[in-house]
Amino acid sequence: MKSLRRFLSRLASFATRRAQDERLREEIDEHIALQTDENIRAGLSPVEARRQALLKFGGVEAIKQEYRSARGLLFVETFVQDVRFALRSLRRAPGLTAFVAITLGLGIGMTSGTFSMVDALIFRPYPVPHPSSVVTLAGTTRDSGFDDFSYREYLDIRDKTKSYDGVVANADMEAVGFSAEPGTTPRIQGGMMVSDNYFHVLGVEPRLGRGFREDEDQVPGRNPVVVLGPDFWRHEFTSDPSVLGKTILLNGTEFTVIGVAPDSFPGMEIFGHPDFYMPLAMAQVFSTNVQKNFFEDRDDRELNVRARLKPSTTLAQARNELAVLAKNFEGEYPEVNRSRGAAVYTQFETRIREDESWKFGVTFVILALAVLLVACTNVAGLLLSRARARLREIAVRLALGAGRFRLIRLLLTESLILATLGGLAGIAIGYGVVEWFHTFQFMTELPWAVPFRMDTRVLLASIALSVLSALVFGLVPALQSTRVDLANALKSADVDVPRRKHLWGRNMLVVAQVSMSLMLLTASFLMAHSFQRSLLERTSFGKDHLLMVGFDPRLLQYNAAQTQQFYKLLAERVQVAPGVLSEALTQNIPFGGDFDEAVFVPDGFQMPRDRENFNSTMDTVDEGYFETMGVPILRGRDFSASDTAGAQRVAIVNEQFAKHYWPAGDAVGKHIRLDNRNGAPVEIVGVAQTIKYEGTIEKPMDFVYLPLSQHPVARMLLMLRSSGDPLQLVQPVKDIVRTLDPNLPMSQTRSYEDFYLNQAVKGPRMGIDLVGTLGAVGLLLAVAGLYGLVAYNVSRRTREIGIRMALGATSSDVLRLVIGKGLMLVGVGTVIGMALGFALEQLMNSMLFNAGGVDILAYVVVVPSMFLVTTLAAYVPARRASRIAPTQALRYE
Amino acid sequence: MANKQKTDVLQDTLALMVLKTLDVLGSLHGYGIARRIEQISGGLLAVNQGTLYPVLLKLEQEGAIGSEWGASENNRRARFYRLTKEGRKQLQVEAQDWEQTAAIIARFFAAKAEDLS
Repeated sequence: MKSLRRFLSRLASFATRRAQDERLREEIDEHIALQTDENIRAGLSPVEARRQALLKFGGVEAIKQEYRSARGLLFVETFVQDVRFALRSLRRAPGLTAFVAITLGLGIGMTSGTFSMVDALIFRPYPVPHPSSVVTLAGTTRDSGFDDFSYREYLDIRDKTKSYDGVVANADMEAVGFSAEPGTTPRIQGGMMVSDNYFHVLGVEPRLGRGFREDEDQVPGRNPVVVLGPDFWRHEFTSDPSVLGKTILLNGTEFTVIGVAPDSFPGMEIFGHPDFYMPLAMAQVFSTNVQKNFFEDRDDRELNVRARLKPSTTLAQARNELAVLAKNFEGEYPEVNRSRGAAVYTQFETRIREDESWKFGVTFVILALAVLLVACTNVAGLLLSRARARLREIAVRLALGAGRFRLIRLLLTESLILATLGGLAGIAIGYGVVEWFHTFQFMTELPWAVPFRMDTRVLLASIALSVLSALVFGLVPALQSTRVDLANALKSADVDVPRRKHLWGRNMLVVAQVSMSLMLLTASFLMAHSFQRSLLERTSFGKDHLLMVGFDPRLLQYNAAQTQQFYKLLAERVQVAPGVLSEALTQNIPFGGDFDEAVFVPDGFQMPRDRENFNSTMDTVDEGYFETMGVPILRGRDFSASDTAGAQRVAIVNEQFAKHYWPAGDAVGKHIRLDNRNGAPVEIVGVAQTIKYEGTIEKPMDFVYLPLSQHPVARMLLMLRSSGDPLQLVQPVKDIVRTLDPNLPMSQTRSYEDFYLNQAVKGPRMGIDLVGTLGAVGLLLAVAGLYGLVAYNVSRRTREIGIRMALGATSSDVLRLVIGKGLMLVGVGTVIGMALGFALEQLMNSMLFNAGGVDILAYVVVVPSMFLVTTLAAYVPARRASRIAPTQALRYE
Repeated sequence: MANKQKTDVLQDTLALMVLKTLDVLGSLHGYGIARRIEQISGGLLAVNQGTLYPVLLKLEQEGAIGSEWGASENNRRARFYRLTKEGRKQLQVEAQDWEQTAAIIARFFAAKAEDLS
């Protein structure tokens, strides 16, 4: 209580410290005056009386100091003084200040911008209360640690586990045909099926209306109710609260709006933010897999399962419980659950498994941190040179009794201010980086967005970085410049007697700069190079003169027969449209996202003992596909009209697949069985060239094509090869579709080339640009830093050089003297940088490119050019030194 | 460190004396307090009278004393200090503590070997 009051009054007097100083002065004056009067009365002369009074009072200044330290918050007060002082001295060197702010800003901004990516992909907590208790349950198979569950499995998990305060399930967000009223053409939106307890268990309170009731998710098809996503409600219904109770059409079925999710809950996924949430019981309207029964088939695995861990339960307990349950599944349903386990993941574990782009984010952050480090060493070097120029000032301060700690604090305050300026610039640059990330758009009708933001967490990280960098670049110069030999420092202006320790720090800076920027350059070259290479690999299929149009007859509740009929007629009619060279229907296209998986057993292949079947990515295509997309059939034949539903089942595999399972012989004529060894035999009739399917940076993968006639799929893409501009075919296609069904929406209508460039080139290119920028900035900073250090060295040794030359040294001697040391440092830095670059290459190879080996070209190009540039940076000031006229040099200073 | 402790003890003693002085004499300026302490303590403040001022400030910050401007004997502006209610309470408590401590120490010093056996 007493100390609190004292603190408050200190705080108050901090504000009024000037008036308080005045008061003390007055009190002291009065005290001494009274004592003097007293002394005079005692018979002393006025002069002596005052002298005695002063003696008796003691050291006035010391008392004042003590009084001051008792009065206010000395620490804050001196801090304010330091800030003032630092601001003044920085204002006197605006060039330096600006350079430092920009340098640091680049480092901090690049780091926080790229960190926003890692933050969104890994660290940002779920937008629900108590996010840390939300865990993800996933199936594990031989090939994957992150597999979905089927509806039946979900019910079992929900009912038979005891570790959780609720288990929820959701399907992936899917395209849903939305129309506000009957009779209008549906529009594609993103809808997600969720279990009835989804909002309740996650703790999400609808901002309007209610979430689902338990009984609304019990009888398949009985309760067509929908909860709207907040963004969709805002845009489509202009935030109209009367939307509750309204009927909308989803995939041609009437749904009643019962609620609107809150703004705080855009969804649990990183990228996709659903427009609608529907109960799982409505699956027949939305389920994508027409070959399986969502409610009954235990291998129709479409659900992501999450649960809220009870506070009393540990993760290990939950894991054990689920593992036992998975074992039971395996025993009970050996057909569909053999060698299937289950795992419980925390949010962090989930995030690093579900989407791999975070690896790029981490790589970018590492590189950006390297830039920041180079920037810091640069600034440290600058401050060191500056501190030397201020050596005399510091020596005077020390001689007058300033404490070393106090001086270090003063110098660190200056660094802190510089770092604050750098941090501000960094935040601006960080915003720029994030904005630039946002220039990327997903080419999809679904509500996907780039989730990177400069939020509080990223801003805090930037501030922490600024303070940290202030310590990094400020501490060494502060320590070094306050450890001076007073006698020497006061005597002469040039006192930098080279001491081993002193120089060591400075040399370290050069080495660190050279090695860091070498690492940066190697990495960016490496990424650019392997990307450039992979852009050319296995991408020779046709891209230009192609129009793509998506169809999904399920949006209008077509049954299987109607769907097939529709595609048959569509294909027939577009084929004869003017300007169409060829036509194809396909479920998916290269770079169109994740392909379906086929489960199969190859005939005559020795299965490993513990395996029942294999997986391969697959596509369903019609007989025009290979011609239209320009994917060559290397052996065997194309699909043909004779491959009808009743005929022998056929498939075409890619070369990778053929080599994988029949390394010796020809795959054509061999058979695979779908699902398991008892499945119908499917004859391989052709081998197609291996291309890239899902991404630019992709290893060759197995691929199977099944004919549409034998493997009907509801949602298809129509691909048209045109003689002219593919977009001119849009209107004819529209007209044809209108004759077939005026209500059927066309989606993803665009030129395939644009799509390809966006998916395959633009995203990765942004990464390359980012890394390239980081490398360039790093190199620039390193060159500037090196130049500065050598130039500084020269100016320091000008007099020495003059003496040497006066005594007969030639200018080449001087050149050697000055540049020799710089070259040695560059050499050491190069070796370390190569080692770092090599380590980073291994890391990137294992994480990103899945490629072993060393990219020799990177070192052949980067190392010599780096060496050349840095040598030049050292050479220029050295040459200047060698041209100094001795007479001039000796008069220097 | 040792030096700092010593001044802390001195300050505490001085603070107690200031409180007692103000309790007995009422409102007084710094010089008056210093004189009084010097007279009674026999030279504690014979030198370094100035050390009194930080103590006065500390007491004022703690709320034990208050101060206002007034006129001194020679009709100049001087700062007059007076005891507050809280200060009086504090004085009581500390005086009691002090007497207790003094009594214990006194007894301790008076104790002879036979008393302890």
